[in-house]
Amino acid sequence: MKFLRSGRLYGIVLVMLALISLPYWASRYWVLVMLLFSINLALSEMWNLLAGYSGLISLGQQAFIGLGGYALAVFSLYYGLPIWLSIIIGGTVSVLFALLISAPIFRMRGVYFAIGTWTVAETLRILFSNWKYVGYGMGLFVKPAYALSFNTIYYTALGAGIVSVALVYFLLRSKLGLGLMAIRDEETASETLGVDIFRCKLNCFLISAGVTGAVSGVLYLHNIFIQPYSAFGIDWTVRLVFITIIGGIGTIEGPIIGSFLYVFLHQWLSDYPSVSLLILGVIAIGVILVAPKGIMGTIQEKLGFEFLSPRRK
Amino acid sequence: MLSFLVELKGPIVNGLLLGGLYGIIGIGMSMIFGIVRMVNLAHGDLVILASYLSLVTMAFFHVSPLITLILVIPVMCLIGFVIQYYLLNRVLGKGMNPPLLVAFGLSIILQNLLLLIFTPDARALLTSISVQTIPVGGFLNLPVVYLVDFIGSIITIVLLSRFFNRTYMGKAIRAASDDEGAAQLMGINTKTIYAVAMGLATGTAAVAGILVGMTFTFYPHTGPEYLIIAFGVVIVGGLGSLFGTFFGGLILGLAQLLGAHFLGPGFQLLSGYVILLLVMTFKPTGLFAKG
Repeated sequence: MKFLRSGRLYGIVLVMLALISLPYWASRYWVLVMLLFSINLALSEMWNLLAGYSGLISLGQQAFIGLGGYALAVFSLYYGLPIWLSIIIGGTVSVLFALLISAPIFRMRGVYFAIGTWTVAETLRILFSNWKYVGYGMGLFVKPAYALSFNTIYYTALGAGIVSVALVYFLLRSKLGLGLMAIRDEETASETLGVDIFRCKLNCFLISAGVTGAVSGVLYLHNIFIQPYSAFGIDWTVRLVFITIIGGIGTIEGPIIGSFLYVFLHQWLSDYPSVSLLILGVIAIGVILVAPKGIMGTIQEKLGFEFLSPRRK
Repeated sequence: MLSFLVELKGPIVNGLLLGGLYGIIGIGMSMIFGIVRMVNLAHGDLVILASYLSLVTMAFFHVSPLITLILVIPVMCLIGFVIQYYLLNRVLGKGMNPPLLVAFGLSIILQNLLLLIFTPDARALLTSISVQTIPVGGFLNLPVVYLVDFIGSIITIVLLSRFFNRTYMGKAIRAASDDEGAAQLMGINTKTIYAVAMGLATGTAAVAGILVGMTFTFYPHTGPEYLIIAFGVVIVGGLGSLFGTFFGGLILGLAQLLGAHFLGPGFQLLSGYVILLLVMTFKPTGLFAKG
């Protein structure tokens, strides 16, 4: 067992080294693929934190993606603030907005929560496309991002991916994580034992919003152009849902596998984006029907094998 | 005060008529929410699927969109039955999330299938009535198509309500929705009942889709917009009554057109969303819910 654990550690270190040195030995295309992989991983890990561990099926993650992207554009373009500061502001704005909407949104449960978060994002989409300050529906160019090299954006994205996985890992091993798992297993009993359900879920919601907003800043360093219809579009959350469900909802490794599958399928069928979404939709439904725990969840169940276990040994 | 109302007569009358259309969009979702206790996130896409089916039928037989109902309704009923029987029934009773996510996946599949077949171009079910207006009392011009929407919606709801109250199948569906266990003990196969209910719901989606297609342009990706409208109608109207759903539609339509009147056309959808969020926050059981 000890050998296996140290072997696992070596494995993680090796993968990290490979990813960090990637721009020096791989072609630009593969660096791009891994960049997209990292961003998708970070975003879907945050959806997983909500849906897989807190039982909050949010269909409104695009609200924070849009806010983060617009914060980057507005603060770096209009106010000339440094790009990294603008990204952090994007995360902060997202947390504040999440806090603001949490009062009404946490009165909604289950499917009400899902549609409620979605409606909030749609509301933002209409507001931004009617807002002169951000150029209506025409959108904004994040011009300051041109100053960054491709490798810098890659390392930022990679950092975001690694940080998000580490964050979920350590969160789940913290008091908050124990509370969440207690709630998931038996809500009433956990409340009797003193778990503050509302606070646990709210903290997850705020963390997820903040990280999503900041990662979205990194995303728009790469995309360069932001426009309300795409930034606040449901397509983002569709992607996160598919990635997490196929990989394994409620497992830390699930989004890693899911993001790999998503990015490869997307690149492979890059001329036919609707075909790749079609295939992902069919796979996702198949997974829910046949193996509801997804690829990683099923492997863990069958083989008792976990890479990043939130459990304490 | 009176002159204020006269100025508002346009948005109010049009809002109510549009609300009738929203009622028929929401009615199928309300039925499934009430009977199967599931939110069909693909409802908006089923509505748009019906619009496209009608488009194809129109092009094939060169008939008016209303005539295509004869073909589109049975086809949509069959599609709904199959979806429920072979797909959604399998995830019922496994918690809240699996049915929600399967329907969500279905919605994405439908959108991209429509996109592949019909390209992202805007479509419309054009007829002569799409552009006609009726002058009412010399001070108001009513778009004929809005009137057709409203009447079509009322006819559908009256027929549905007769079905639920008079026929054996209607009573069985109500029994299964009231108490699944007791209905099973009485010899009702609830799984089949759910599939029939879904077939009926997609049948109403067929009517809604054709009316929507005659009234507005549609794209493969318009489904989610109507899903949120349908959900708004269900939430505002509350569960449990067909006519409550219809009134929910009227309120939503009125709110949208009054919002557009006061804030500008860009805010038509927004005021509907705000109403939806307010009702979900303060009275999630709906404005007309019993008890």
